[in-house]
Amino acid sequence: MLKLIRRQLVHEPFRTLLTCIAIGSALAVILLLEGFQTGLYVQLKNVALTRGADLIVTQSGVTNFVASRSLLPQISREVVESIDGVKEAHPITSMPIIYDKPGYRKSPVFFMVYDTGGGPVVIIEGQKASKPRDIVIDKSLAVLYDLNVGDPFIVADFKFNVSGITEHASALFTAFAYISYDDMIDFFFDSDLIGDISNLPLLSFLLVEVKPGADKNTVAAAIEAAEKDADVYFPEQLSKNDVTMGQTLFGPVMGVLIGAGYIIALLVVGMIMFAAVHARLRNYGVMKALGFSNHLLIKGMVIESLVMIVLSFPLGVLLAQLAAMFIEYTVPLYMVPVLEPVVMLRTFIAALILGVIGAYLPYRSIARLDAAIVFRS
Amino acid sequence: MIYWSIKTLFSEPMRLMVSALAVAVSFILVIFFSAVFEGESDQIVAYLKKMDTDIWVMQKGVSNMHMASSMLWDWKADKIEKLPEVKEVSAILFLNGPIKIGGKDWFAYIIGLSPKYQRGGPWDMFKGKAIPGPGEAVIPEVINRLTGVTIGDEIIMLDRPLKVVGLTRGTFSMASSVVFVSHEDLGDLVEAPDQYSYIMVNAKPGVSTQSLIKNIKNEVDKVNVLSNEDFIKSDWTLAVQMGAEILRMMTTIGTLLATLIVAFTAYSLIARKKQELAVAKALGFSNGSIYLAALCQSVVITGLGLLLSLLLSYTVIIWLPLVIPQLNLTVRLHHFIPLAIIALPVAVVASLIAANTVARVDPMTVFKG
Repeated sequence: MLKLIRRQLVHEPFRTLLTCIAIGSALAVILLLEGFQTGLYVQLKNVALTRGADLIVTQSGVTNFVASRSLLPQISREVVESIDGVKEAHPITSMPIIYDKPGYRKSPVFFMVYDTGGGPVVIIEGQKASKPRDIVIDKSLAVLYDLNVGDPFIVADFKFNVSGITEHASALFTAFAYISYDDMIDFFFDSDLIGDISNLPLLSFLLVEVKPGADKNTVAAAIEAAEKDADVYFPEQLSKNDVTMGQTLFGPVMGVLIGAGYIIALLVVGMIMFAAVHARLRNYGVMKALGFSNHLLIKGMVIESLVMIVLSFPLGVLLAQLAAMFIEYTVPLYMVPVLEPVVMLRTFIAALILGVIGAYLPYRSIARLDAAIVFRS
Repeated sequence: MIYWSIKTLFSEPMRLMVSALAVAVSFILVIFFSAVFEGESDQIVAYLKKMDTDIWVMQKGVSNMHMASSMLWDWKADKIEKLPEVKEVSAILFLNGPIKIGGKDWFAYIIGLSPKYQRGGPWDMFKGKAIPGPGEAVIPEVINRLTGVTIGDEIIMLDRPLKVVGLTRGTFSMASSVVFVSHEDLGDLVEAPDQYSYIMVNAKPGVSTQSLIKNIKNEVDKVNVLSNEDFIKSDWTLAVQMGAEILRMMTTIGTLLATLIVAFTAYSLIARKKQELAVAKALGFSNGSIYLAALCQSVVITGLGLLLSLLLSYTVIIWLPLVIPQLNLTVRLHHFIPLAIIALPVAVVASLIAANTVARVDPMTVFKG
């Protein structure tokens, strides 16, 4: 049976190629959607993890790092740094703003205000903020608003200067921009925003560096005991909480989209198997006349379908990776990791199952086939 | 040839159906994405729409509620209330952030209601009390359905436990479920006990909105004042544009996939009918008429796919939120316009691929076995 399938595939190479492209494309769509979903979660996961902290201090009750309004008393830094085992506590403040450049669309941006730690992880162009009013923006903002190093970045009439461009600094469809504490205070005063705020939201989180040899759990417990208004987390825990929040937000939508991707793949496989069966009705007639059972013929169809899936999968991965690279290049706000081993394995197994189901779709055509067809012209 | 082409296509209705369905689902992938973004965007402005006010007053430099933060001293509401053109004023404290309900973090619009201004409260109650007092909260009934948290249960806003006293309708959204709490609780947690975020102003009959906006800007420092329409438009546009790029990508991907499916169907049909086509060529039919036949098949498959996608969108997609209540989907006819425009080139490209095979058919094939 395998030999027959191989011959059929080799006999019409163009058709085999087109079939592989069709199945590969359908699989590429699934991989892309899976990659898009994974990317959303990876972005959320990385925000807390890449801040370079051993422990993260939040306002009591705040369990997320991304998109949370955490407000710590300013004295917290001093309190935390006085605890045995703490090397340094870096303040960081997260502040949502809306960026509106004339002639372009509005975008929400998270200002990440930092002092001695927790700033941009990589700078792909320019440099970190070193002068007053310097700002480091994510690549997605640079692409969307045609911004380069040295360009102005105006928010609420306050002019920042783009000193550097970072990458992979976004989450929840929102890009990050990094500024210094001095500039944040100037921004509040210069743009007249300060008038209605009784307490400046100066401190959202503390990124704690633990002294070498100190036990992190002991230090965390000591911080919680000393600062009643705060909770202490390992970055991994906050990162996990952010991902869980992302799953609550995007899970249902992405589930439906990925489901639609699988339906497309199933229909494509079914369509191909229909075409294959109808093209070979006479052959099947001969085989039935020779005593092949319906079961055996369907088994052949299943094997052929599985072979096609196996042949198409690498092409699907390649197409998905190319599309992902294109998306990340043109819209760097998104991360689309399609080459995640778990996702690839899951998609491959699901595709094989689809192959089996798809092969059964033209079952009726084979079952109803009269062996006498072979004697007709 | 056109008759032959249609007859061939409809001779295998099951196969035609599967092909058209595959095209339809490719299109639906695009429509679903649009429906999600528009549905969410509609829901993001649901609160603003339901408040039905004339004017919104907010912190200077702010022109949105979605993903924004605004703070105003409470005396500004009093000052606006005293303006002669003002009929009524209401104010809310607002926080856009996660709130823990049933062990999960839900991204929410947390609205702090003061006893003085209760107009900013729920507009459609499912059950219970509408206006929460200190230590109380009113949550969307969809969250109640999803988590089982109901009246009398506890939710956590930051570290503060609040007792659920009411369930509301029309307030759920993935990114902006509306949760009502007391101004006292929210003000305490965000350290803004004497502030509001947004002030709603209604003008007296006969007073023009624009003149009142101008007057408020003159009388009250450091505020931004927007008409209801402008504020809603600003938020809706911000929300819907957040998905603009990914929508364009999905449209491209969905269209490419649809092209490939149509091309494959047309190609495999024509490839199987090589002998008949050879007869046609031997009888003197030109390549042009055969190209037309291929085009005709592609147009039929694409058209059927488009029709099916329209049908499925207005049945399955509309019905989906009943099964998955987290989804807010809005299907509008304008979603189909780009697809309808794209459908014709899809059919042409697909038929060109298929027709390329036909053009190479040798009329001598008719004499082969």
